[in-house]
Amino acid sequence: MSDVQTPTAIAASAVPIPAVAAESVGKSFNPGTRKQVDALVDVSLTIRPGEFVSLIGPSGCGKSTLLRVVADLLQPTSGTLLVNGKSAKQARLDQDYGMAFQQAGLFEWRNVARNIELPLEIRGWDAARRHARSKEMLELVKLPDFANHMPWQLSGGMQQRIAIARALAANPPLLLMDEPFGALDEMTREHMQAELLSICAATGTTVVFVTHSIPEAVYLSDRVVVMSPRPGRITSIIDVALGDARNDDTREASEFYRKITEVREALRGADHAGRSATTGARGIEDR
Amino acid sequence: MNTTTLRRNATNVAVPLVFGVIVLVAWQRFVEWRKIKPFILPTPSTIWHEAVDKVNLLRAASFVTGENAIVGLLLGIIVGTVVAMIANRFRVLSELITPLAAAISAVPIVVIVSILNNMFPLGSQVARRLMVTIIVFFVVFVNVARGLRQSDPTQVELMRSYAASERDVMRKVRLPNAMPFLFTAIKIAAPISVTTAFVSEYFGGTQDGLGQKIASSMSSSKFPLGWAYVGAACLVGLIFFAAANILEFLAVPWQRRRDSR
Ligand SMILES: Nc1ncnc2c1ncn2[C@@H]1O[C@H](COP(=O)(O)OP(=O)(O)O)[C@@H](O)[C@H]1O
Ligand SMILES: [Mg+2]
Repeated sequence: MSDVQTPTAIAASAVPIPAVAAESVGKSFNPGTRKQVDALVDVSLTIRPGEFVSLIGPSGCGKSTLLRVVADLLQPTSGTLLVNGKSAKQARLDQDYGMAFQQAGLFEWRNVARNIELPLEIRGWDAARRHARSKEMLELVKLPDFANHMPWQLSGGMQQRIAIARALAANPPLLLMDEPFGALDEMTREHMQAELLSICAATGTTVVFVTHSIPEAVYLSDRVVVMSPRPGRITSIIDVALGDARNDDTREASEFYRKITEVREALRGADHAGRSATTGARGIEDR
Repeated sequence: MNTTTLRRNATNVAVPLVFGVIVLVAWQRFVEWRKIKPFILPTPSTIWHEAVDKVNLLRAASFVTGENAIVGLLLGIIVGTVVAMIANRFRVLSELITPLAAAISAVPIVVIVSILNNMFPLGSQVARRLMVTIIVFFVVFVNVARGLRQSDPTQVELMRSYAASERDVMRKVRLPNAMPFLFTAIKIAAPISVTTAFVSEYFGGTQDGLGQKIASSMSSSKFPLGWAYVGAACLVGLIFFAAANILEFLAVPWQRRRDSR
């Protein structure tokens, strides 16, 4: 980028509006009391549209808090945050993002199709349009024959796929995921990772993905954001981008291992920067 | 339904049935053996013959008590659920109702019924039905309020992420989540509604319900008939209990699923 930009040059370069733009965001719980916890301190992060960004760090470093601040489920105590160029609240009201958690959080009394249709129902879509959309989403997550099943009839992996289908149903440009595969077994998990990548490639969705698995972060991400606890802050951001043609062979490639090592070292560094230098990066999985 | 649940259901029915038969036989034998006077304890067979003989009387009284119970039960369920929903939205209200509930449940039924009886004209069933309503209300209120509070936080958070209104959160998350709690409350309240109606009848008012019939039969030395009325009261209570269980089975299938895990 050139050093001097005229206003016309800025307009002409047509920089896309960032999916997420966080500027010195801070979040304290119970501020001003003895129970004050500084969950986030001075977090600055810009995420481009279509980018896949993972947040990694030991338990309690503020990953979920950061995700919830982006989702406007928590208000930051300092700094500014824009989602799709709007305030986080406006982005939430516009259903600009979909969300998935470690618990699939399916509604037990609704069948699979009606679970996927829930956000559309809230948006006021009519029934015909909702049905068409849930059918489409079931194709996308490769469960086309399960529309009328009840959640309890599905395996954990299938439930999680339905949760992803639901998060994407309103076609949001942004997907926020908090350890969505954390409760799955290793085989299902790798399968789901590949599936998520192909869904994102098909839809062009931006993803912010919280995980505590280093290989998962490296396999999925364009960039891995490494965080440290007490107070929660970003200590480094690592470019990964293993390319579009990721498959099971990617997991064997030396580049994959090199990136894993790089993230692991960043996490160690982060931990040394924190106060618990002797205990190691707890809660991080090498698998 | 698979074979395990079938077997379990069969056991659930068989065990109390066998036990009941054993008790009846033992009762019959004991009364005959000790030559106990009927005004102390008649035999089951005497009571049975009396019941068959006076089945019309028993049916009439059972219907009166059953109707009192069901009217109070339904009112209590509706009011309890609605108040729990309002209390879920406005914290102050639930802080007001809880001590009030504790205070009222400390007052003996006799007292409340007497007060209510004085409020309504002679021959009215309203006092009994209100008494049942009050008792059922608290059972339902406490349970439903808990169900509304204990909604899955992930589901509530999802609804907020959809920018859902409070009304949608109530209708689509909290109420369905509270359904198993509501049906648990109904299962508890259904037999209680019968005993409450029955006891309320006993303490004054019209003479047509089971509560009064038992009292008057006993005081006019019609002991087998009095006992037949007692049996009818048990039967009405059982029917209410069974109906509540069947209702739950049909209404919250996901709960059935959870239980069988
Ligand atoms: N509602 C809350 N009230 C008080 N402290 C909280 C709350 N939520 C999270 N925290 C604290 O904030 C810190 C970051 O939590 P979290 O974002 O959940 O971490 P992570 O997801 O990285 O494990 C932790 O120390 C946690 O105890
Ligand atoms: Mg977390």
